[in-house]
Amino acid sequence: MSPAPSPLEVEEPTSDTTIDPDRPWVVLVWNDPINLMSYVTFVLQKVFGYSLEKATELMLDVHHKGRAAVSNGTREKAELDVFRLHEHGLWATMQQDD
Amino acid sequence: MALWTPKPPVERTASGFRINLDEEERDLLRALFEQFRSMLLGTSDEPALKRIFPAAYHRTEHAELDTEYQRLMREELVASRLTGLATVEEALSTAPPLTEEQITSFMQALNGLRLVLGTVLDVSEELEMDDIADDDPQIAEYHLYNFLSWLLEWTVRAMSGT
Repeated sequence: MSPAPSPLEVEEPTSDTTIDPDRPWVVLVWNDPINLMSYVTFVLQKVFGYSLEKATELMLDVHHKGRAAVSNGTREKAELDVFRLHEHGLWATMQQDD
Repeated sequence: MALWTPKPPVERTASGFRINLDEEERDLLRALFEQFRSMLLGTSDEPALKRIFPAAYHRTEHAELDTEYQRLMREELVASRLTGLATVEEALSTAPPLTEEQITSFMQALNGLRLVLGTVLDVSEELEMDDIADDDPQIAEYHLYNFLSWLLEWTVRAMSGT
């Protein structure tokens, strides 16, 4: 019987550039010292069609927690959302769901 | 007894929107928007434009994806900004009412200017004009930043109101 493989060997290879196409992407908006709270709330309503309540909640999350997930979907959709947020000057980035 | 109500600098009217700024203020904005336009057409690594072109992929393992994103989308972002600025330039010289599209471009352009100026001034979230000394070498820029914030806040209010 062969000895039990060391944990290192059984670990999934985690190539840093591998993208799992099934894992959705999340769009994040980050807190920044320049954008006005009212403006961020308005942009979230305009870009995503969110209600004032939902947009305000997300804006406050950004303000208090430093960031908030504002949308998710395929990589293509997330890129488009990020682009639209950048058009409005929001500090938006995307990452794959953990 | 007189009732005096201050006129907001931007307001929604029955037929659209109206910008209540005098010619001097409009000229100031025109000059600023023109500077912004020149910067957008200039070198791409201008530090003041850092917040205009943020990374889309923030994780280091996605650096290659971001390079690709910037290669494809940066030009689109510049084009979108330039189209907006052209709309604003026209809107500033047009008699009211302004359309929703015009006032939206105005809002985005004001915010773009604030991002550039705020980056140059390296403002903090707690910026208070009272804390800036009168002899601060950047006092004029701080006043400008404050003016743009005031104008943007009113623009957002006008657009949010029904």
